[in-house]
Amino acid sequence: MDMAKYRQVFIEESTEHLAEMSSALLGLEKNLADGEAIDLIFRMAHSIKGMAASLEYDSVTQVSHGLEDRMQEVRREGCVADPEELALLFRGLDRLESMVDVIRSTGEMPPPDPALAAVLTNCLDEPPSESTSPELAATASAQDAAKKKAQTPIQ
Amino acid sequence: MARVLVADDASFMRQMIREIVESEGFEVCGEASDGVEAVDEFKRLQPDVVTMDIVMPRKSGIDAVRGIMALDPSACVVMCSALGQETLVTEAIQAGAKDFIVKPFKPDAVIETLKKVLEKED
Repeated sequence: MDMAKYRQVFIEESTEHLAEMSSALLGLEKNLADGEAIDLIFRMAHSIKGMAASLEYDSVTQVSHGLEDRMQEVRREGCVADPEELALLFRGLDRLESMVDVIRSTGEMPPPDPALAAVLTNCLDEPPSESTSPELAATASAQDAAKKKAQTPIQ
Repeated sequence: MARVLVADDASFMRQMIREIVESEGFEVCGEASDGVEAVDEFKRLQPDVVTMDIVMPRKSGIDAVRGIMALDPSACVVMCSALGQETLVTEAIQAGAKDFIVKPFKPDAVIETLKKVLEKED
């Protein structure tokens, strides 16, 4: 198989999926129980996971799998639990965007982020309680970045 | 030559399955990018076998299997699953799917599974 061809398809399709996820997350910000947005983010994460696994981009597979697991739990609950969980989802999106950027520019597998994958997957783990924690600072930053990106037309 | 309908919302996966099955001489007679389209295309094309993704928009792969079985109880559908979807695969088999293949796809395993289910149909 011509894996270079599939890498290009992966970059194009993932970029579209991530843009859709970004819009859906912004929708969830207004309504934490937006079922359509929840389903879409779940499907997009699942799709990116499948493509990344096919290309052996294990680091992307891990984070997208974590995001998929988290969204599976959100689907069960019927809503995103709270703004902290939403911020974590934004952080997952942000990391996937940066990983796809690395693949686009280098063709190589991006460095892994096992800590984020674990936080996303371990749905029962409590997020840090201090609003000034580095974890929340990172998620807030990711959220801001997604908002800015959502205001930029897709080329 | 067996005719295959490929149902998956990811173009990436549809292209990959197409390449795998065509390399073995199967004909991809159609593609569907969601569950509703999968049922419609099944009705229109009457393929010998359908490869069906589980997670799709508008109608899930499992509901699409139910729709296809309602049209043709002898239809041959193979689910495309990922690790961790064992429960959903079981549900799909109960709905009438004949077998499943696991992502990431291994070309030999895909071909072997398709041949197996098609032989059973003969």
